[in-house]
Amino acid sequence: MESELKKLEQEFQKEIVEAKNADQIESLRIKYLGRKSLLNDLFSRIPSLSKEEKGIWGRNLNIFKNKITQLLEEKLKTFKKKEERLDLTFPSAPIRKGSKHIINQVNEAICDIFERLGFMIMQGLEIEDEWHNFTALNFPIDHPSRDAFDTFYLDIPSSKEKAKQSGKYLLRCHTSPSQIRIMQKSKPPLAVISPGRVYRPDEVDATHSFMFHQIEGFAVGTDINFAHLKGVLLHFAQEFFSEKVQLRFRPHFFPFTEPSAEVDISCIICGGQKSSHAKCSVCKDKGWLEILGCGMIHPNVLKFCGIDEKKYRGFAFGMGIERITMLKYGIDDIRLFCENDVRFLKQFDEI
Amino acid sequence: MRFSLNFIKELLDVPVKTQNLAHTLTMAGMEVEYLEKRGDDWLFDIEVTTNRYDWLSMVGIAREIAACLGKTLKIKYPSPKTSPPLTDKKIIIEDLRDCPLYIGRLIKGIEIGQSPPWLGQRVSHCEVNAINNIVDITNYCMLKWGNPLHAFDADKLKGNIYIRRAKKGETFLGIDDKERTLNKDNLVIADERGVIALAGVMGAKNTEVDQNTKNVFLEAAIFTPLSVRRSRRTVGLDTESSYRFERRVFSEYVEYASFEAAKLMEELAAGKLAGYISSGKKSTLKTKPITISLANLSDCLGISLSKPTIKKILSTLGFKIKDSSAGKMIVWPASFRFDINREVDVFEEISRIYGYSKIEPQIPALLRKTQKDNSYTFKKKLQDFIASIGLQEIITYSIENDEELKRIEEKEPIIILNPLRKQENSLRTTLLSGMIKSIRYNLNRNQSQLRFFEIADIYYKDKNSFCEKSALAIGGSGTKEDFFYFKGIIEQILNYLNIEGVEFKQESLGSFTNALRIKAGKLEVGFLGKLDEDLRKEFDLVEEVFFSQLDSSILAKLQGIKRYVSFSPYPAISRDISIALAKKRRFQDIESLIKNEVGSFLSDLQIINIYKGKDLPKDIFAFTLRVFYQSPDRTLTSQEVDSLHNKIRSKLSQQEGLQLR
Repeated sequence: MESELKKLEQEFQKEIVEAKNADQIESLRIKYLGRKSLLNDLFSRIPSLSKEEKGIWGRNLNIFKNKITQLLEEKLKTFKKKEERLDLTFPSAPIRKGSKHIINQVNEAICDIFERLGFMIMQGLEIEDEWHNFTALNFPIDHPSRDAFDTFYLDIPSSKEKAKQSGKYLLRCHTSPSQIRIMQKSKPPLAVISPGRVYRPDEVDATHSFMFHQIEGFAVGTDINFAHLKGVLLHFAQEFFSEKVQLRFRPHFFPFTEPSAEVDISCIICGGQKSSHAKCSVCKDKGWLEILGCGMIHPNVLKFCGIDEKKYRGFAFGMGIERITMLKYGIDDIRLFCENDVRFLKQFDEI
Repeated sequence: MRFSLNFIKELLDVPVKTQNLAHTLTMAGMEVEYLEKRGDDWLFDIEVTTNRYDWLSMVGIAREIAACLGKTLKIKYPSPKTSPPLTDKKIIIEDLRDCPLYIGRLIKGIEIGQSPPWLGQRVSHCEVNAINNIVDITNYCMLKWGNPLHAFDADKLKGNIYIRRAKKGETFLGIDDKERTLNKDNLVIADERGVIALAGVMGAKNTEVDQNTKNVFLEAAIFTPLSVRRSRRTVGLDTESSYRFERRVFSEYVEYASFEAAKLMEELAAGKLAGYISSGKKSTLKTKPITISLANLSDCLGISLSKPTIKKILSTLGFKIKDSSAGKMIVWPASFRFDINREVDVFEEISRIYGYSKIEPQIPALLRKTQKDNSYTFKKKLQDFIASIGLQEIITYSIENDEELKRIEEKEPIIILNPLRKQENSLRTTLLSGMIKSIRYNLNRNQSQLRFFEIADIYYKDKNSFCEKSALAIGGSGTKEDFFYFKGIIEQILNYLNIEGVEFKQESLGSFTNALRIKAGKLEVGFLGKLDEDLRKEFDLVEEVFFSQLDSSILAKLQGIKRYVSFSPYPAISRDISIALAKKRRFQDIESLIKNEVGSFLSDLQIINIYKGKDLPKDIFAFTLRVFYQSPDRTLTSQEVDSLHNKIRSKLSQQEGLQLR
């Protein structure tokens, strides 16, 4: 055994000197340390030796094994330093990244702001009836005030009794019916945000679509007032757009609120600073941009929902998400939102 | 609505800069949308909200401006003459409810001609075409008082004047030269021969004032908003006249408008007032007193206003005020303010004139409720996760064409009764239609391997009722093999939601010959399929299209709770098998066979290689499977593993249509 081991060592020493690359080192490792190696064969003979010899040869073989393992590793290291250089100026591999639709990102950002103020988020359904979409919101039947709220009607049959109570089925033309449904179900105090899709028979162009998204918000309590409405909306606008924006509340008319207002933000492009030289293409030099409608909930609406209108007051507001998104990111065509061109969508991976 | 500042100046001194006036009006609720200088005049485009019919007249606008500036009007109210009586005609109102008052004045011997420049300018600066002196005078008076007038050629009238419902099928040729068929929804003015005007909407051609007109019969009337609205809608008309009647006209001014027009016809067209006739009566409707409480006012607005401030504001608006018990006042709105009916209406008037801008913003302390809408949270959670694994969210239209929908989904769509276009006449029964459109749009723009998702509602008829529910769609394009990418996505989603016990069953479903039906026990979770070749070509899709639709509410219901599962500290040992599988056999068979044989020692199965050599027969699928063996409580010996592995090999080799390679 001794001579075999000696011969093995000599052979190994010779071969390791000749080894020229990492592959050759690997074949040497298999040859001298692998399962079918001579060394393994020597190890397998140990059980047949005398007790004394078992101890000596076991130790010797292990010393030898450790030695060549170490030598192989050392030699391998010398090759690693000389590794082939890669062209690292090549472009990176494409990494597939998904994202949420910009409208949903904005929707969520808005909901988050109101949620932190204590509003709950609740969604309504899109198929509604006339009672919830109009009557309970204090729209007189067959009145010009309904004209601005043109609506798609649906061919869903309803029983005579149901039709008498709730009128025809339709696609909601605003998110306000959610307000009605929630107030019918839950007792005040309430503070709710309700986002969703709404529909109006508008011919599609750069600023109109027959489908868009709105966010409805309202709060009802014994001590809710118009100053609160202003405070909540100002907080929202400054958090969502920038701390610098100002709000302007203009008296307006909505059947479901009294007093009512339309709200403008100071132009986020020119900051409302009209200059005599340059025209602002966003606000058309008005300095203000309309973003939402709001007001104190009309007592009739509270009454329709079974809430004591003498004890409770509330405010409500509604805004179009497409409009706000277009203003914030300078998007000039509403049709981009539903075209789903990946070159558009990918720009909003992270906002 | 457009008004001319020079017209207003006939009624009120306006000693402020035009730009400042526009701003003041906007901030008081009369939004000035557009302002233009024309000659020595200024044109204002204002938005008239539906509650303020009184802003549809120069008198009304002047009154609002006066209130905003704290000025007094200088209007000269005419004293209408009602003689001599017109005797050769009768006015017969058959429908007093829809036409409570009708006044006629006969002006004889007029000379048709051009209006003097000031008159032409007044009307044209208010966006009404100048035509001739007679027509311009009626329009001038309508613009001024808000009451529409109509001038008939008196010589073309025959006999009495009737205000009645149209007979079914009766036709009407308007001054716009268009003929319309009427029905009982139309209130008409008629003479002995037939219809001479669509009441409150438009006059008829047959009695129109023309170059040869000598005598004019001037109509002034009250038609109720609802009757005019219904009438003009059935014939598809919207005129200056109907616009005003629909929003209500002020009956106090009917006589003023009519008399002033007659006088102007005397002054400017050489006419002579020759007769007066009226039927019905003026409305005696008065605004009702409203009690307001100062405490309620500050509760509503969040600011306290003093009594003198409130009184000053209300009196500039023409409201009468009386002190009532402590902290209360009784308010009589101005006679033309029928939109002021309750306390909050008065509060709006006070606050808008006081200035919304003077109300300091406050943040309310809102009570946070624990009640939550899980559908919103669940949707958000799903969106975040699916985007995080590389899919792009899309939003597609809920409105589609019914025939197109029926080709890809068997559910019965809900139809829109008044669609904009035939392409968009029903609510979608599946999210597939929108997915296909988005994929096609992008494929046609040189994008490929698309990966999309959308969470939106689908709608369909369900027996005698309907259903609206939220669905999750996953879809995209690529080559056949990409099917397994989408299968992986769905597994990832189920895994993320901790949904267990879901079965994928291969079936043919509608537009998908190759599809997996996804079920959890008896619940239908949804499906994943490859769109059939013929449909793909029909829709012009240049790549294979994959689509999955899952029921959101079922996913939400099945959601499990994340629990830690312990794993073995002992190593897993693997062995490979290369298999050639006839295409009539399923991988699933191999998988279940191995699971049965190995039992709890099986820790994983992986396909590590798919053989695609040219020598492979077409009906054979060849691959290498790596089987991982592991025990939870010890290291398996190679003998144990070999014995398990050999058992699998021998079992597999006995299978028909399966060869070990």
